[in-house]
Amino acid sequence: MSLQMHAGPPPAHGDCILDEDVASRPDLKEQLIDRYAGLLNDRGWVIGGELNWLHLCLEETLVNAMVHGNEGDPDLSVNVTIWDDGDSWELVVRDRGDGFSPDEVPDPADPDALLFEHGRGILLMQDWLDELRYHDDGATAVLRRRKQRTQE
Amino acid sequence: MPCDFVTVQTYQKIVLVRITKSRLTDAADIAAAGAELQGIIDCHPKVSLLVDLSEVQAMSSQMLAKLVATYKGVQRDKGRMALAGVSKGLMPLFKTTRLHKVFEFAKDPQKLMLLWQRKPL
Repeated sequence: MSLQMHAGPPPAHGDCILDEDVASRPDLKEQLIDRYAGLLNDRGWVIGGELNWLHLCLEETLVNAMVHGNEGDPDLSVNVTIWDDGDSWELVVRDRGDGFSPDEVPDPADPDALLFEHGRGILLMQDWLDELRYHDDGATAVLRRRKQRTQE
Repeated sequence: MPCDFVTVQTYQKIVLVRITKSRLTDAADIAAAGAELQGIIDCHPKVSLLVDLSEVQAMSSQMLAKLVATYKGVQRDKGRMALAGVSKGLMPLFKTTRLHKVFEFAKDPQKLMLLWQRKPL
């Protein structure tokens, strides 16, 4: 699956149900993950065993934003928004960094990349999400998935 | 610093590592587990390394990277490595990243250890 990269910011995706800035502090990451996952779970949008995948996606996205995008600087914030368009939810995570090039992400189809020690987070997220795309040259990650209760 | 969620048992030249933490997502935990695994490679050339993940329910790509680094270290030293107890919930991570083609997965760890004892490196 190719990586979607857009230069500009992402468009609004229905109603915004959360908009906050958080410090780039990995020690707070678990609390944030529990809160965002709880928010989606409480609405019945992600339930049961799927929660493990949601936790994984939140983990990968927040680590990328805090550690790579903001280079671990606690004074730099990460903006998190969650959107609801009726059929799907969208989580948008924006860091203050310069983004990244899709060329930096190993191609999973390349056997030579199999033993690389980086680049698997995006691959894992793509596997579960309906859509993973990047805006602002990679500084903003957009994670979208259909609400679980509408699928069942 | 010893890692309180990693236990290491050595049987002749076979090393059994049990990771007893359900979520391997915290950067400090992952660094500690990685250091423990690296220490085993450093202390045991040509090691036969079995990593028991039966208590692990979730892990991040960073932990997968540590397992890959361990695998590469073991291969470099002409050793061998297998994973045991990988749950149904965890297996998709290996399949999605194609690491299921890299690692040997032991369905029966005891049997594999007996086999390794019979065929030492």
